[in-house]
Order: sequence, then C-alpha cells, then structure tokens
Amino acid sequence: MKIKNFLKDVGGASRVTKARLDAFANASPSLETVDPIGDVAREWHPGRIELVITDIRDACRTAKTIRLERPDGKKLPPFYAGQYIVLDFEIGQSRISRPYSISSAPYEARGEHPFVEITVRRSKGDGFICDYVNSELKVGDHLTGTLACGQFYYEPLRDARNVVALAGGVGITPFASMAKEIAAGKLNVDLTILYGSVSSDDIVLKDELERVCEEAGVKNASGDEGKGSVRIVHVLSGDEPDWKGERGFLSAELIRKYSAEDTTYFICGPQVMYTFLRRELQKLDIPKRRVRFEVFGQAKDITAFPGYPMEVKDKTFRLTVVQGIARQEIPAKATESLVVALERAGIRIETGCRSGECGFCRTKVLSGSCYVCPENDGRREADKDFGYVHACAAYPTSDMTIKIPIS
Amino acid sequence: MKYYKDHYDVIVIGGALAGLSSALMLADKGLDVLVLERHNLPGGIATSFVRGGIEIEAALHEMMSIGPKENRLKVGKFLDDMGVDIDWLQVPEAYHASLPGVEVTLHPGLERFSREVDAQVPGTYEKVLKLLQLCNTVFNSVNELSIHPMSKPQMLLKHEAFVKTAGYSTKEVIDTFDLPQKAVDLLAPYWIYVGSGFSELPFTIFSVLMADYIGYGSMIPRKLSHEMSLKMAERAEAMGVQIEYRQQVDKILVKNGKAYGVRTARGDVIRSDYVISSAYPNAVYSHMIEPAREVPEKATKMVNARRLSLTAFSVIMILDRPAQELNIHDYSIFRGDTMDTDVLYENLAGLGPYRYLTCICHNYGNPDVTPEGTCSFSITVLPRVDGWKSVSADDYDRVKHEVAKQLIDDMSAYFGVNLLDHVLEIVIETPMTVAHYTKAWNGCIYGYAHTMQDHIIARLQTGNEERLIQGLEFAGAHAISGDGMGPQVTNGRKAAKNILDDIAAKEAAKK
Repeated sequence: MKIKNFLKDVGGASRVTKARLDAFANASPSLETVDPIGDVAREWHPGRIELVITDIRDACRTAKTIRLERPDGKKLPPFYAGQYIVLDFEIGQSRISRPYSISSAPYEARGEHPFVEITVRRSKGDGFICDYVNSELKVGDHLTGTLACGQFYYEPLRDARNVVALAGGVGITPFASMAKEIAAGKLNVDLTILYGSVSSDDIVLKDELERVCEEAGVKNASGDEGKGSVRIVHVLSGDEPDWKGERGFLSAELIRKYSAEDTTYFICGPQVMYTFLRRELQKLDIPKRRVRFEVFGQAKDITAFPGYPMEVKDKTFRLTVVQGIARQEIPAKATESLVVALERAGIRIETGCRSGECGFCRTKVLSGSCYVCPENDGRREADKDFGYVHACAAYPTSDMTIKIPIS
Repeated sequence: MKYYKDHYDVIVIGGALAGLSSALMLADKGLDVLVLERHNLPGGIATSFVRGGIEIEAALHEMMSIGPKENRLKVGKFLDDMGVDIDWLQVPEAYHASLPGVEVTLHPGLERFSREVDAQVPGTYEKVLKLLQLCNTVFNSVNELSIHPMSKPQMLLKHEAFVKTAGYSTKEVIDTFDLPQKAVDLLAPYWIYVGSGFSELPFTIFSVLMADYIGYGSMIPRKLSHEMSLKMAERAEAMGVQIEYRQQVDKILVKNGKAYGVRTARGDVIRSDYVISSAYPNAVYSHMIEPAREVPEKATKMVNARRLSLTAFSVIMILDRPAQELNIHDYSIFRGDTMDTDVLYENLAGLGPYRYLTCICHNYGNPDVTPEGTCSFSITVLPRVDGWKSVSADDYDRVKHEVAKQLIDDMSAYFGVNLLDHVLEIVIETPMTVAHYTKAWNGCIYGYAHTMQDHIIARLQTGNEERLIQGLEFAGAHAISGDGMGPQVTNGRKAAKNILDDIAAKEAAKK
C-alpha cells in the first residue's frame, strides 16, 4: 500500500516522535499555574467556609433573622434565590449540621457589603436545634457553613414567568429571597406569594416583605417586560375578627383565584401542608412540570410512614461505624435516622438537605437492615442494589454496620 | 483514630474509571491498594444523579470497546476478567447525521454502514468500505502491538498499514481515497469523540475510533454509568482495595526523585511505594508535588508543550412527552451546519453560537430509563477550554443560560417542536460543573489534544522517558490513550502495568 511515497510512509512513526520531542524541547520552562475554570467552580462552591454572625433581629414575634458574613468581609458564593446554606453546630458532645433556606437575596451576597441571612422559627419541629439557634447564638459568634445547595429555585428554561408561591410558616424564606432579587431587578419573574399563617403576629418577615413588594411594584405597572413584580397575599387560618384579608387554608379555589394562565407553583412549608396541597393542586389539573416542591425535610414521625416495622419502634440498636480501618460502636434509636445517631455520638457526617435528596450523606450498609423513608428515597438505582442508603433518610431496624467517609 | 494502614503498595488518587481500573488490576495481582476519591461516590463524570425522582445519566453517550458477550473487545474483556458484571445494552445505531443536504441514520457494521453511505452518495460503496477496512486493519495492529511490542522491520512486515499511515493526519489519508465531499462528511461525525479537526487528528486515532464504533457498535449500562462505576468500585473493594470517599489529596510526597506517599486535605500523611495520579500533570507539577523543588524542569516543559483538549457543556432535559411525539426518532443525532472539522474545531474555541451539536435520546437505547410518557434528551457541545477561561463567577450563570438556550432553540427548530414547552427537569452541566465535581484541570475532560505534534504513537514511543518521578504514574484522559470512557480503562491498566513491570524488574534484580 502507498499513501505518499515509500520513504515518507515508513518514516511516519519517527517523524511524529521527533515532532513531539521538538515541541517539548522548545516549550517554555515556566509553568502556567492558572486554572480559571476551576477558580470559578471554587468561587461558587468553596466547600465549608468560616462565617461570623453580624446581626440578629426579630422577623416576627416567634422568629429571628440571623445575618452571616465572612470574617474577612469578602463576597459569599453566588447562589440562586431559594437555595439553602448548611450550618455546623457543636452542642455539647454532638456535631450537628442543619440546612436553612437563605432569606436574603443573591445580590446581597455579592455586593459592597456582602452577607447572607437565614430566618429561624423558635421551637418549631426540630426543637432542640431551633432553640439553640434562637437563644444561644450571639452577634460576633463564629461558625462554619457550606453554601449554596438545593434545587428549589426559579429556572427560566423550565418555569413559567408567572410564579405562584405557596408558603406556610417559616417556609416563606426562599420566597423572601426571590422577592428581594426581583425588587432589585435581578430576577425577571412575576411572583405572587400566597402565605398561610395561623395568626397575624406569626407572619414571618411581614414588614420586610411589604417593603419589598412596594419596591418591586405590581405587575405591568411599569410596563417594563424586563422587570418582574411581587405581590403578597396573607391567608390566616386562625380566628381573628379584625382580619380583612384572605382566610382559611391555601385551597384550590384560592390558588385558582391568584393564578395566571401559565403558572409555575413553588411550594415550601411544613409537612402537613405538603399533604394538603398535593390534594388541592390535583383538583386544578396542573401539568406536572409546573409544580415544584421544596424537599420534605426530616420525617417528623417515621413510624407514620407505610411499611414501617412497628415492632422495632421502641428499640435501640448497636451501630458499628467503619471509617477507613477504624471501627466504633454507638447506640442508634429505631425512630431516629442514622445521621442523628452519628451526630449524637459526635461523629461528623456531611449532610445537606436532610431529606434524602442531595446524597451528601451517602452511606454503605455492610450488614444489618434499615427502613428507608419512602418520601425521601432519592437514591440511584445501582446504589440500592449494593446496599447504599442516604443516612438522613434511613432508620435502623436491626444492629447494623455502616461505612461512612473519614471525617 | 487510625484510619489508614502504615503503608500501601499503591495509592491511587481518584476513583473514576482509570483509577478503578488500575486498582482492579493491581489488586488482582495481590497488591495492597488505597483509592482516595474527593467526591462521595466513584466514577468521576461516569456517574448519574437524581432530579425530581428520576435518575439521569451525567455524561456517558456510548461506551466503546465492549463488544458482544461472546466476542468481547478489550475493555469488555477486562471487565469480564475482573469479575465486573455489567448489564450492557446495545445502542441500536451508529448515529443520525443531520448535515448540510443530508439526513440519514447510519448503523454499525462495516458493510452495512458503507451500503448506507452509498445509498446517500451512489457509487461510493467500494471506497468507503476500503477506507473502513483500512481503519480496521490499523485498529487490529494497535491492539496487538499494545500487548506485544516488536521491532520496526518486523512491524513493517506484519503491520504495514499501521506503519505506513502512522505519520499522516486523518485528512491526508482520507484524501487519497478521492471520495465525494458528502461521503467524507458522513464519515466525520464521530470526530467530536476524539476532539481534533481532521488536518490535525492522527489517522491512527481516527482508525481506532471508526473500527471500534462502526465495526462493533457501542453499549450503555442499564442502570446508567453509575452502574459501571459502582460495580468496578464494589468489585475492587471485594478484592481487598480500600476506597475512601471525600478524601482529597493535596500533595504527592517526593524525596530524591521518588514518590513515597500523599497528604490529604484533612492532613493525613499516607505512605506507599507507588502513587497513581488521576489529577492532571498540570495540577501535579504546578502545586501538588511536595517539595516543589522535586519537580523536574522537563516536566514543566512537557506540560507547557501540550495543548489541553475539550471540556463539556451539556443540557440534559427530562421532557413530558414520549420521544416520538416530539419528533425525536434516534438515539444519537449529530448535527452540524458544516462538517468541516477544522472549522468546527475553531468554533469550539468560543462561547457560541456553537455549530456542532451532539444529542442523545437515552430512551432509544434504554426504553425504561424514564417514567412512562416522558423521555430523556440531552444536547452536548464539547468546547475547548479557551473560551470558558474568560467567564467570571458573576457572569457564569448568564453565559450558561445563553449557551443552553441556543442549543435548545437550535434543536427545537430542527424538530419543529418547542422543547421548552415540555421541560419537566433540566440540568445544565458546564466546564465549571466538571471542575467542581472532579477537579479536572480547567474542567478539561479530554486530556491533551490528539495532534500530529502529540501523536499517540509518539506518546507510546517515549512514554517511559516521560515517567519523570520514580513511582509516580498517571491515569486519566491526560494519559497516553487520551479521552473517552473506554480509553480510561486502558489508561488505568497501563499505569498498573508500569508498576507491575517495575516490581518485576526489582524482583529480578534481587535474584
């Protein structure tokens, strides 16, 4: 066979080898060390960072807003309105992490005086840590955190420009972030927040949100298609004679009243509200792609889920924890997730959503059995085959041995 | 608490396909291996994630070098030999080519493919088949020579086609076939899997690409690439390999020109006789070698001389209709407004509009991959790192959405269906996403460009002299065989073989 001529053809390997060695010989001896694409990735996701509390103020009678900055005053990572921060706490022996939706706007994390804020209710749900956050944390305290995480945010290539947010209680926080971003002209969305509270003095961030609505303006008022709008509709379920606004729950009827033709619904609130709203939304015949639920959160009562083996519910099992070649044994209550057992024992495990979704706490079960919360089973198929669980959504049903990352 | 043994034979940095292949092969020979992976699961970009309750493939379009069960190609055979039992599904076609003036779906099998090209460009059957057969001959030689090296005269005798095409670019060899441009265009779509324009791409690489994909077709794992990565990791652990997730290696410890261990981000110093790095040489030589004075000048020049190849940008969507209802009819669609690969390569240097798109509708290879009534559709471009280097953290989201929108609009126009009206879930993966999850240097997934100045044959010829720090091997797309998930297995095995050969030589010297 022949490509060009015999000599040139058979000399190919030597020719390309020489070309390569010549290129090496002629190259610069000073190494280019920049990785700008990696730098952007690290700016968005720097991992665990140091934070300092610079302000604590009331968000209503029963909730507080906590402002966090970097000790050096530098910008915080960019994020999408609706995402959360994971904060680490050391309380006594325990090493605990918790996710909090960020209630400040993304632009505020990137401005002249960058900060993020979380808004936390006192003694709701997970009382232990909420009380700690509400009463123990002080301005000037240092802590560590990871941001930003979560899939609960407006995605322009997926969601309708008209957004109806269905919020309950402290579930207002992601929408507060969204509203502020809209008011600042950084997010082009027409947002209507239907906000359910029990009584008017329970309304979290009430004054702040009213200010934001004013700043943002109502829909089409400016005639500027490039700018979004915000309105908030309070809905009270408690008995309050003087209340002039909407009453009752976030019913299908109410939702319909405030919806435009093509609307995306974002839902964030307590677990009972999810159950209620799933039913109400079904009545409205909304396409699946137009409904976005924030993650469910840690199950309040795992024994209430279908298929839970009630016979073990009062038991405490022996949990053998393997990290590298090390092993230790800790107790694990049947009704608490593996993550809680580890945290109680002071063993740090990385967690994110604590709802089985993000997979940060992916754990290998080496022996024994557990119950996985069906509402929070976000595992990969192959992981299921090989006995992996997301430890925040797995509850021991026997003595177990698990392997977790060295921490 | 003590998490590690005092000493390992080999520490592997990175638990993706290359690193896991090294670990499997070394453990199979009885070596004590530690794999340190910074993420919390194996596989690197050969992975999946769950969105809205649906598991989504992150990166694998089609796996080469597997072959049918009774006639495995080298990667398939290695995985079988190691006891990694993957549920492979055959991809039903080669590709649908959507190019200027032609719309056609082509299938694997050298004769069938040639016939299908002939149907589009009559009178080309003989020549196209001859070209593919030449590719196949070169492919067979590459496979044989990688196991049994031989002298040059011997090679010329037994592997004439391999020897005589070695010094030429793909364009130079294809030109000798005097094919009509349209036929050449139909042979070109896979170029993006090796990432160089035909005037730069060694014909040797083109041969392997075509013979493997067109000759044997491709495969995908039923439970997505996480099935493959996880089964490799699980098998390695069953063979005694210690794998630790969430452990980032910051430093490779070197003394007197010899690697002796690593230091992790949490501060563990772990000792070993050998280190295999999946981190790029750029990262290793610029800030991972400790002390830095152990970095040889030759290493610096070598890194500087080589050109980083492609990174990835993908829009992955779960759509709320079955594929047919959206006019999507093929597993893979390669769409370009030209098929001049040199022009397209230039286009990849920017931030768009991109002119060559690779689309996958996963359901055609794996029907149950999404819930009934939905389908998975991804659009990928593989840009050069150059353009993306200029994007700042504050601009990133805007650029990401602009590029994604362009890709979706282009394909919507093609299908005559606005895909944006059907998005159930959407994930946009960018070079920064790759950098975030894998720490690959500048998000590069293709290693160093296959060019005539960095030719695979030259890499093989001088590879031994490029092992500049004793006991330090590289495994990953930046290693000899370059990019691709199949080649990562080969790269991993090569690193392991270097170590096994070194150990054997030392044993022999003792005796």
